[in-house]
Amino acid sequence: MSNKVAIIASNGGLFDAYKVFNIATAAAATEKEVAIFFTFEGLNLIHKQAMHQLPMPAGREHFAEGFAKANVPSIPQLVEMAQEMGVKFIGCQMTMDVMGLAKEDFIDGIEVGGAVTFLEFAKDAAPTLTF
Amino acid sequence: MTLKADVKLDAKGLVCPMPIIKTKKAMIDVNEGQILEVQATDKGSIADLKAWAESMGHQYIGSTEEDGVLHHYIRKSGDDIGLEKNFKNTIANEEIIDRAVNGGIILDVREEAEYAFGHIAGSLSIPIGELEERLEELDREKEIYVICRTGTRSDLAARKLSEKGFKKVFNVLPGISYWHGDLSKKI
Repeated sequence: MSNKVAIIASNGGLFDAYKVFNIATAAAATEKEVAIFFTFEGLNLIHKQAMHQLPMPAGREHFAEGFAKANVPSIPQLVEMAQEMGVKFIGCQMTMDVMGLAKEDFIDGIEVGGAVTFLEFAKDAAPTLTF
Repeated sequence: MTLKADVKLDAKGLVCPMPIIKTKKAMIDVNEGQILEVQATDKGSIADLKAWAESMGHQYIGSTEEDGVLHHYIRKSGDDIGLEKNFKNTIANEEIIDRAVNGGIILDVREEAEYAFGHIAGSLSIPIGELEERLEELDREKEIYVICRTGTRSDLAARKLSEKGFKKVFNVLPGISYWHGDLSKKI
């Protein structure tokens, strides 16, 4: 059985962030080797400023109350936990170039790489998930 | 009722994936064979902790609910099946009920929580860690059938009883994990 979980994060909303980081931290807590490839809007999830104010989908803003009531950890908290547990973050170089972003715009501890970097990790991962 | 646990974790008020993450961290301070109790209010934690324990090779014992708080019991790396057993005098699961009727004692040396979630009716519970100081509860004249989950702890306990001068001791194999009859609960 594979001990790797590979995740592609390609969307930048708050819901997307929870899907990505909940699965990633749960997998890491089960001693899986986890890597997340952040591409296109997914880069927001690890952008130093953007990660603190990820948008809710239009018309779903009222969920904010539910998040607070359910005592859901914040995205920066989940990111920190994920890193603590050894989840590997890979930023997509090509998208960063397109968006005019540098490694310094993102949280510490990320790797920057291309599609092959991710594919190399994901080749023997099960499952591979896309959000 | 509260069951004995070696380490307790308070994960009340936390939602997925936090109970799992906290459990993973708490397990670091639990020794092999010891029991971790996780208190949680997240209803999803019942299925999650069970799946987590199975994936990690720990033994999920069971969960209780009291006043909206779930108490989950997990035994660290409980998978001791296949370890070498040294005690020569053994008896099969199927034989002990009939033998005990004639005045034998079924001695269950698993932890209190394991016993609570499923044991043979009429068996006596003495966790292996308490065996030495509770020897006087055992009648030396009677046959004693020592049982645990997989036969490893009972092997150790049977050897200990034998060292202490008990003559009619049997290790029950393969143990509760292969028990086909009914089990009683005490929760």
